[in-house]
Amino acid sequence: MALLHILRFPDPRLRLVSAPVTAVDETIRRLIDDMLETMYAAPGIGLAAPQVDVAQRVVVVDASPEGDAPVCLVNPEIISHEGVEIMEEGCLSVPGFHENVERAGRIKVRALDREGQPFELEAEGLLAVCIQHEIDHLDGKLFVDYLSEIKRKRIQKKMEKQRRFSM
Amino acid sequence: MKQKMKARAVAVKVLLRVIVDGRSLSVALPEQLVKLSDPTERPLTQELCYGVMRYGVRLEAIAKQLLNKPLKRKDRDVECLILLGLYQLIYMRIPPHAVVAETVEAVNAIGKGWARGLVNAVLRNFQRGEQKLLAKADSTPVARYAHPEWLLAMIKRGWPDEWQAIAEGNNHYPPMVLRVNPAHGSREAYLQRLQDEGVAATALTALPSAVVLQQSVEVERLPGFGAGDVSVQDGAAQLAAWLLNPQAGERLLDACAAPGGKCCHLLEQTPEAREVVAIDIDEERLQRVRENLTRLNLQAEVVCGDASRPDAWWDGQPFDRILLDAPCSASGVIRRHPDIKQLRREEDIDRLVVLQGEILAALWPLLAPGGLLLYATCSIFPQENHLQIERFLQTHHDATAQSVSASWGRAMPVGRQLLPGDEGMDGFYYAPLLKSAG
Repeated sequence: MALLHILRFPDPRLRLVSAPVTAVDETIRRLIDDMLETMYAAPGIGLAAPQVDVAQRVVVVDASPEGDAPVCLVNPEIISHEGVEIMEEGCLSVPGFHENVERAGRIKVRALDREGQPFELEAEGLLAVCIQHEIDHLDGKLFVDYLSEIKRKRIQKKMEKQRRFSM
Repeated sequence: MKQKMKARAVAVKVLLRVIVDGRSLSVALPEQLVKLSDPTERPLTQELCYGVMRYGVRLEAIAKQLLNKPLKRKDRDVECLILLGLYQLIYMRIPPHAVVAETVEAVNAIGKGWARGLVNAVLRNFQRGEQKLLAKADSTPVARYAHPEWLLAMIKRGWPDEWQAIAEGNNHYPPMVLRVNPAHGSREAYLQRLQDEGVAATALTALPSAVVLQQSVEVERLPGFGAGDVSVQDGAAQLAAWLLNPQAGERLLDACAAPGGKCCHLLEQTPEAREVVAIDIDEERLQRVRENLTRLNLQAEVVCGDASRPDAWWDGQPFDRILLDAPCSASGVIRRHPDIKQLRREEDIDRLVVLQGEILAALWPLLAPGGLLLYATCSIFPQENHLQIERFLQTHHDATAQSVSASWGRAMPVGRQLLPGDEGMDGFYYAPLLKSAG
């Protein structure tokens, strides 16, 4: 297992649309393990492959209070959603910022598991929000895109400044 | 995704680690504090966790009146959040509307959005009926003193006249106490340095080395901490080195040494000691001993071993003095570790008493004729303290208890007892045992 480097907004690679995984093989399983380790170490509750510079449709999440219920989703698709949930979200690619985002409160997702087997998952609350947030990453979308332009620009400026100082 | 984690939500996670997983607060706190989105909320989170541990029994009694039916096992997190809310309303100076808003908001972060209305209603109903609810809860001593029933009963049995004062002492916030390293300067000089830094402090009169801070500070703010000028250690624990009183050229054993505070004190006080052997059964905690020794630039032989089985680690060379800081209920340091109320079980006590007796009997042969063994616990229970020593003296005729003439604490049939808060110190028991020369 290895800790992976997490890309930071406004890195253009976060804007790529990821490709579906064609076969869940050892390479993908290795990626899943590394992503989980990276997510727990951050610490975060969800991570999408494009955040670690792999443009493939792979997501890991763990929204359990104890951090002992990892879920990995390969080629995830939301097949139904209902309700509304507003939560203060943050992102490992946009560290230090949290803003309210409105999403569906309940979702049903279809995906492949670590072994490549299809499964369906119903989620609500934090887990539902987290899965939606991660699937957005696969389409090159970030939570800041839901904010007003003024807010997004402000965050982008601060992030660019941070990067200049850290380099 | 990174979840916004604010003080109340992180505090719930810490409390769950203690209540459900049985971890100690001192382990669970640092582990969870890294999850805070805003690091400036660390002190608040810490205060919330310590507060709920300290007053948990009373808070539970109040919550019980406010809940129509008990919450399910899987909703312990919601229960913790309610206790946190009550703690803030009763004991903290946060405006009540902010308490309710922030506490209710935390339901999302712990993944229990459905409980929003419940938490809100419980806290608001408490505000409406505060006086009555408190009065009703406090009609039982268990809630009034915020101690589990068995613990309060055991304190009462051991100290029929003092139990109320002890229970109250257990709920007080402990002072931060320092031990000044005499090799780096006098206590007076250090008090001056603190004053120059704007840290208010006074000398603890019962001891030549101790300084009490008026308010706790981060150790980084203590002048010369990194250089080993000073260590954090309660006055009661500092008494050990003075009572053992090691001399130049002697070989010393510190049994059950982790985290090493007393071991370092022995070496600071008697750098001319021939050798100090520090043993502990827990390799992980021995790392703390090594860190403390390194910071203070001291040398000891650090050994991982079971004090009750010296055959496995003893080289056959006798010790002139032995410090046995025995594993115990820690009932004297509840004010410092309020999670003891939650973690300790009644059945632990008998097991500890047996273990203490075994270790004491196993180490006695390692002591040179004419040598001194200092038996110490941070307990206030007679069965771990003077009753334990009386039993030992009956079976070991080459042992005599040395009387301790001191201004602190109270004389017991053998040894001396400090109750929590006596002279501002933690609860501790000390019995120096002399081995006859012949």
